[in-house]
Amino acid sequence: MAQVTAVAEARPSSHRIRRARNRVPVWHVIWLVIAALVFLVPIYSVVQFSLAGVGPGQSPFHWYLTVFDDPMFRSSFWLSIQISLETVAVSLVLMVPTVFWVHLRLPGLRPVMDLISILPFVVPPIVLVVGLLPFLKNITWLFVRPEVLSLIYVVFALPFLYRALDAGLRAIDLRTLVEAAESLGAKMPRTLLQVILPNLRAAIIGGSLLTVAIAMGEYTVASLLEFSTFPVYTYTIGTSTAYEGVALSFISFIFVWAAMLALYLLGRGGRSAAAVAITNYN
Amino acid sequence: MATVELRGLCRTFGSVVALDHLDLEVHSGEFVSLLGPSGCGKTTALRIIAGFEWPDSGEVLVEGQDVLGQAANKRNMGMVFQAYSLFPNLTAQQNVEFGLRVRKESREKRARRARELLELVGLASAMDRYPRQLSGGQQQRVALARSLAIEPRVLLLDEPLSALDAKVRVQLRAEVRRIQLELGITTLYVTHDQEEALSISDRVAVMSQGRIEQLGTPAQIYRSPRTAFVANFVGTMNKLEGTVVSLEDRVVRCGPLLLQVPDPTFNHPAGEKVELFLRPEDISIGLLSNGDKPAPGLFEGRVTSLTFLGPVTRVGLETEIGPLMADVSSAVALGLTADTVVAVKLDSTSLRSIAR
Repeated sequence: MAQVTAVAEARPSSHRIRRARNRVPVWHVIWLVIAALVFLVPIYSVVQFSLAGVGPGQSPFHWYLTVFDDPMFRSSFWLSIQISLETVAVSLVLMVPTVFWVHLRLPGLRPVMDLISILPFVVPPIVLVVGLLPFLKNITWLFVRPEVLSLIYVVFALPFLYRALDAGLRAIDLRTLVEAAESLGAKMPRTLLQVILPNLRAAIIGGSLLTVAIAMGEYTVASLLEFSTFPVYTYTIGTSTAYEGVALSFISFIFVWAAMLALYLLGRGGRSAAAVAITNYN
Repeated sequence: MATVELRGLCRTFGSVVALDHLDLEVHSGEFVSLLGPSGCGKTTALRIIAGFEWPDSGEVLVEGQDVLGQAANKRNMGMVFQAYSLFPNLTAQQNVEFGLRVRKESREKRARRARELLELVGLASAMDRYPRQLSGGQQQRVALARSLAIEPRVLLLDEPLSALDAKVRVQLRAEVRRIQLELGITTLYVTHDQEEALSISDRVAVMSQGRIEQLGTPAQIYRSPRTAFVANFVGTMNKLEGTVVSLEDRVVRCGPLLLQVPDPTFNHPAGEKVELFLRPEDISIGLLSNGDKPAPGLFEGRVTSLTFLGPVTRVGLETEIGPLMADVSSAVALGLTADTVVAVKLDSTSLRSIAR
């Protein structure tokens, strides 16, 4: 009997095992707190500064209200949204079929695509613009329209969209899916729309949101070409009224977070929902 | 139901010859397996029939008509792939309906047909599941149902069971055969698994280096291999090297033994070196008491290894005509250990000869 008791005592209880399994090492917590501080302190500072400098009797959100009342804010924000959406549309129309075909029929070109796609990373935007300007100036009808920014941003967004699509296509057995659809009688457009695109949904959404983030935040080219986009407006306001500039920065944070939340919700929506949306089933 | 005929198919990939003047005729409603090791060209042949590859030369005739000019989506051939190929964004039912949607069939007909076929493959209860919610075996069943939904002229199966575990494979191959017989559909089945090919096919084409080494019924392939490759690739064979003593009497000398080859096609002149093949199950052994000599017609062997295979045990033997393997009942093998001396008897009616 004594022996049995000794064995039972030697064996750790399930409670102790659970506690040991769930124990988080202290240094994990320390690094997590440091990382959180690095991200959260600047945001906290921005919020605090944007609520400061308010006169007596004024709302604590005075600078935000001032910004929202400014017609230039609305027009610049809308212009940036418009340019972002155009950039996304042009990028997707160009890149989705290209990357699809390269993966399916010309896999030997993938290293070339990889190389091209990193060019906008290694060449600074200002250099690209200086190179593009003489060419764009010749197309006078386009040069004066904000759509010119969309075309330039397509180049800037290329690496992000390409990487997202490339990862998405690598994650599926593209050739087998295409051949399965073909053996069932489907032509390529149907295969692309009803089989491939629904399975690239997360990649397309991710790439599109990165494209939006780039187009919404780009300052150099818009400023050089004298378009009053949201970043240009933010900079201009920031140089004259620091409080309003910081409030605008926080508004742009909110916009990015909203976009990230949309990405999360769309990505979580399940394949069935996307399939219904994209394939327009029945 | 359709006939399929391959005439002189050639295909090279760079310097690699995948198909070398391949000829094959598959009769209407027949189940033919292309069996061979990796790289023998079996999948290339199937993909050419499906329209996913094109030959350098040759013809593919379906019901007497050359289909090489047709795109894959016009050939009306059902295909089940080695990799899981269900569309991940569609349910099992929607996958099965896909080909019917392409053909613009009514919703009612599509739903009815999908239900029939999913019942046929035993998955009627999983109609609303997505591929990620199905096991590998279930996915391949749905893929089979999907390929059958379009009422294909020919069913092409490219190693559809190779990713599944052994037990599911055995179950599913029986189902594939049952369904094929039920529908009477002409079927070409690619596999490297000899047991699979021999168990479900009407005929088996054993391929090597882009050519068919032998085409025949499973029994012909197993019992009467015509080439050394087939003999070695299909099942386990004992190989005895010998010299022809008499063409008329079909007698071959292997070491001290004179063996008569029963093969009526034996046509090797006296003095020619030949290889004789014999299955392990065609060799029997008996225990020898100390000092006893084997009876006439038998010879002595020493046990070198024992491999338990369930109902039989494979016994490795060292004999005067070289190393041999014999399959004996596991109950009999209980009395054997390494170095046991036994009397060995060859069933010479099963001997096959191939010129070296």
